[in-house]
Amino acid sequence: MSAVTCELCPRGCVIPEGGAGDCRIRVNLGGRLRATTYGRPSAVHIDPMEKKPLYHFLPGTPVFSIATAGCNLHCLNCQNWQLSQRGGEEMEQVYRLDPPELIRAAKAEGCRSIAYTYSDPVVFYEYVYDSAELARQEGLANCFVTAAYINQHPLRQLCRLLDAANADLKAFDDGFYRQVNGATLKPVLDALVTMREEGVWLEVTNLVIPTLNDDPAVIRRLARWVRAELGAQTPLHFSRFQPQYRMRNLPPTPVETLDRARREAQDAGLEHVYVGNVLGHAGNSTYCPRDGTLLIGRVGFMITDYALTADGRCPSCNERVPGVWRSADLSGDRR
Amino acid sequence: MTTTAERGPVRQGRRRALGLITGLGALGLAIPWPRRPSQARPVQRLPSLREADYYRPHELAG
Repeated sequence: MSAVTCELCPRGCVIPEGGAGDCRIRVNLGGRLRATTYGRPSAVHIDPMEKKPLYHFLPGTPVFSIATAGCNLHCLNCQNWQLSQRGGEEMEQVYRLDPPELIRAAKAEGCRSIAYTYSDPVVFYEYVYDSAELARQEGLANCFVTAAYINQHPLRQLCRLLDAANADLKAFDDGFYRQVNGATLKPVLDALVTMREEGVWLEVTNLVIPTLNDDPAVIRRLARWVRAELGAQTPLHFSRFQPQYRMRNLPPTPVETLDRARREAQDAGLEHVYVGNVLGHAGNSTYCPRDGTLLIGRVGFMITDYALTADGRCPSCNERVPGVWRSADLSGDRR
Repeated sequence: MTTTAERGPVRQGRRRALGLITGLGALGLAIPWPRRPSQARPVQRLPSLREADYYRPHELAG
């Protein structure tokens, strides 16, 4: 009888000997908790930074992107469920990329950053932490793409090594989190504030699902919270839902719904509000919040116009646009 | 609110991007990403035994 309590995420799984946590990949072997996917990613790709999406962080650069199996959320609409809702032993492909090999591979491919992404990197925390530490030493940036369902202490430790994060804020509604994601809202809000406090460049994504979280009043509350707690300059992405996994009964989000969400957020005072998963939408691009000049034009993941000055200013009015536009903008020990 | 100032340049950008995509296609070139790194090769399933950082022995109540 040597059960353990995992203290990584708010679930606090009590794991009996031989058992796994709710994430499927943290396993109790002989009274010691093991991270069974450490150095064993099942997804390895080179993506454009815009896919994360990170629009104000090293735009147009390739980012070496990895994920292992497992997740601590169980979203009914998960777009990577073949990866996230399985344990490592169930995966058809597993790569052996311990942190040193990962860093070497990223550099060999000409990437300036690594993204821990696709499933939820919270569950392969130790792999992220050790890789991020090495990446920092080798001059690579670290990007964390997450649902931010993590306890405060491990998050603060990791933030020292993170340069950028895109965090999902799935709805400003605890009932939605419980029903759709199998999680709760409060720890996510706390995690977003912590990332902001710790100086991680933060962008927020809200996937708008018809009838479930598209109520304008809920969107307004979400946008007002982002403005009050994270700042008016925090980029907010409204992404279009596509039916998949266990939520095939709902249609794709109408573009008008995304337009309305964008207007709500702009009216709440947010300066950079984007629409995602809609090819060629005006809301894919970055505009000067002061005079409306097009600063970065995007179609899908491609950059079609780039007018920002070298130090990240509007060429017309000299307004400084927040973000990390060049590696040189990574400050202090984040460089 | 989408302004006229937003729409104009974006339409130009869209035309430019579509032109680029068409041009690449005509040349038989693939869009550069996403792509898979050449170094990464699948291996046999080898579960790692790295000890986790955040856990404690579970204590029974009472």
